[in-house]
Amino acid sequence: MRVLALITVIITGIILIYGTVDMPDWGDPNSPASLHVSPRYIEKTMEETATPNMVTSVLADYRGYDTLGETTVIFTAGISCILILRERRRRKKKKS
Amino acid sequence: MFDLIVSKYNYWIYITLMMIGFYAMVGKKNLIKKVIGMNIFQTAIILFFVSTASKKGGTLPIIMHGHGAHAVNAASYINPLPHVLMLTAIVVMVSTLGVALAILIAIYRKYHTLEEDDILKFNK
Amino acid sequence: MMLQAPVLIVVIPLMFAFIAFILGLWKKGLCYPIVLIALSLSFLATLQTLNIVITSGTIHYRLGNWSPPWGIEYVIDYLNAFVLPVISFVALMVAIYSKKSIKKELPDKIVYFYCIFLLQVTGFLGIVVTGDMFNLYVFLEIASLSGYALITVGEDGAPFASFNYLIFGTIGACFYLLGVGYLYAATGSLNMADLAKLLPNLYGSKVILVGFSFFMVGLALKMALFPLHVWLPDAYTHAPSSVSALLAPLMTKVGAYVLIRVIYTVFKPYFSIEMLPATTILSWTAAAAIIFGAAMALAQTDLKRMLTYILVSEVGYLALGIGLGNRNGLTGAILHILNDAFMMLALFMVVGAIIYRYGGRRISQLRYLHKKMPFTIAVFVVAALSVIGIPPTCGFFSKWYLILGAINAHGWVFVAVLLVSSLLNAILFFRVIENVYLEPHDVDIVENHDMVVSVEEAPLTMLVPILITGAGLLSLGVLSGKIISTIIQFAIPAGF
Repeated sequence: MRVLALITVIITGIILIYGTVDMPDWGDPNSPASLHVSPRYIEKTMEETATPNMVTSVLADYRGYDTLGETTVIFTAGISCILILRERRRRKKKKS
Repeated sequence: MFDLIVSKYNYWIYITLMMIGFYAMVGKKNLIKKVIGMNIFQTAIILFFVSTASKKGGTLPIIMHGHGAHAVNAASYINPLPHVLMLTAIVVMVSTLGVALAILIAIYRKYHTLEEDDILKFNK
Repeated sequence: MMLQAPVLIVVIPLMFAFIAFILGLWKKGLCYPIVLIALSLSFLATLQTLNIVITSGTIHYRLGNWSPPWGIEYVIDYLNAFVLPVISFVALMVAIYSKKSIKKELPDKIVYFYCIFLLQVTGFLGIVVTGDMFNLYVFLEIASLSGYALITVGEDGAPFASFNYLIFGTIGACFYLLGVGYLYAATGSLNMADLAKLLPNLYGSKVILVGFSFFMVGLALKMALFPLHVWLPDAYTHAPSSVSALLAPLMTKVGAYVLIRVIYTVFKPYFSIEMLPATTILSWTAAAAIIFGAAMALAQTDLKRMLTYILVSEVGYLALGIGLGNRNGLTGAILHILNDAFMMLALFMVVGAIIYRYGGRRISQLRYLHKKMPFTIAVFVVAALSVIGIPPTCGFFSKWYLILGAINAHGWVFVAVLLVSSLLNAILFFRVIENVYLEPHDVDIVENHDMVVSVEEAPLTMLVPILITGAGLLSLGVLSGKIISTIIQFAIPAGF
């Protein structure tokens, strides 16, 4: 069983490394990720959102719906923990 | 070949970390070790994403002396989008860890052991 | 209000989950009406969305009014608009059904249960309605976390089954996230429509290839496709009855929907059919799933566990339809999403009613039930006929289109697999039905204290959804042609 797990892990790792051969270099300023969507976030953040912190403006304004989903995830995890862990207290019967 | 290693070694380190976590999730028999492996796997994915955001010569994605109007050059700040996505992914990771540990407490209350082999023997 | 219908579908159950939690802590009895109101309003919103899509075409709803790809967008085309009413209708039926069963199985956790129930439905609806890859991941995690919690509160063996599901499900979600990461590193975009424009130039790239494979494996884990189905039987057998009735019809169908989206919308169909052998691998795995599910179901003595293996087999049908790669096959798969949701809903609700009344689920204990629970068993028989594939029930029509698709693709092995599985399902269900309609032996008379068998049907809140679903199975079969010509035929991407 362990051998099967080891083989699976090694194959997955090799596939992932094979995929990185065509990826943009580390720190390349001309990578597709840096040229396509994010220049607008960087350049227009002051005029569209008046927030100098770009991460905040994306998190709370451009992609605010993901933040709503994230807070729902925390709420779900909290209520799930109550649902799983709550035990009815066994009240000791009164001796009479 | 040397170019390949120098330009991509960050991805390879994170993939190795991911595989260590993945092996712990599927190969280990103790349930706590599986949860630790899950944590390592997800953390490595987060680091992998964040490493795609860096730019040579770029600085933090915060405009200093912000409220004066001055031209902003996109190449001098690093990409903020993966950081945002990973903030959400960190929250998801912590929530999954919380629910996993709650399930482990429920298992421990019932079986008083956290080894997978013993629990399977119990159930037979 | 009409224009906001796409977002109301998701926001109403979400807001009512918070309201149900707060009001429920004050008065427990308020939870059930709140859940019903929330799911009815959401169902009306999904019908309204379907109406808008049929009359005016694809809806593009921008959240926060930022244009894509800089903001998140809800894109509702025919496929989306078709799956949404299915999900909310199934959720509404299970919500009505769950009142008595939850009061018996989880008496002190009712408030938390209904809160997580609404969050689970929010998760499913959010997955189906979105047009952004990362938003899909967030709602996938909402649905998954709620699922783990709902399964854990079942009977013996539930926490361990749920932990197994958690490990597998997290691997699936992480592989999906890795796929999104690889696609983002290569293109810089997260929006499905934008990726569909940017990707065709990059089809030869290794990054895209690896990203696509990780999508496939991650979604196969979430969908419980054959070699990766191991979490499903234990998890759905030990869960509470209402939870099995909610998750079994929906989780796998939502996974199949995401698979259709990735293969046919984000990546162009020719990528999976001609450039990679992806659809070939998918259809052979699906054929193995169909036979494996039916064969394992024959070996079970527990009725609920048998149904979970039938579910594994049904997932095989969906994957086969997606993997055949032609018009008829995909029509069969999309129609099967609707039909299978109804069939599994009916079967699991009937089993839940039997457990509620009698507590036992071994097939050998089901003697004489046709006298005691006539209506429930009638719906079970209709659902069984639908799984086997006998007209005019709806199961026949989706199998018909799958067989047509297999013939079109010259996959004679697949035609044989489909026919053999119908035969195996027939053997399976006739074994159960024979047990139910049999008269008791002398041994059983000693256990039954009265010879006069009274009608002890399931309670009304459980019986009404069962009967509605049974009627739905028959009427959806008759209406199949109309459904295909109005909706499904436009859901398939052009060029097939």
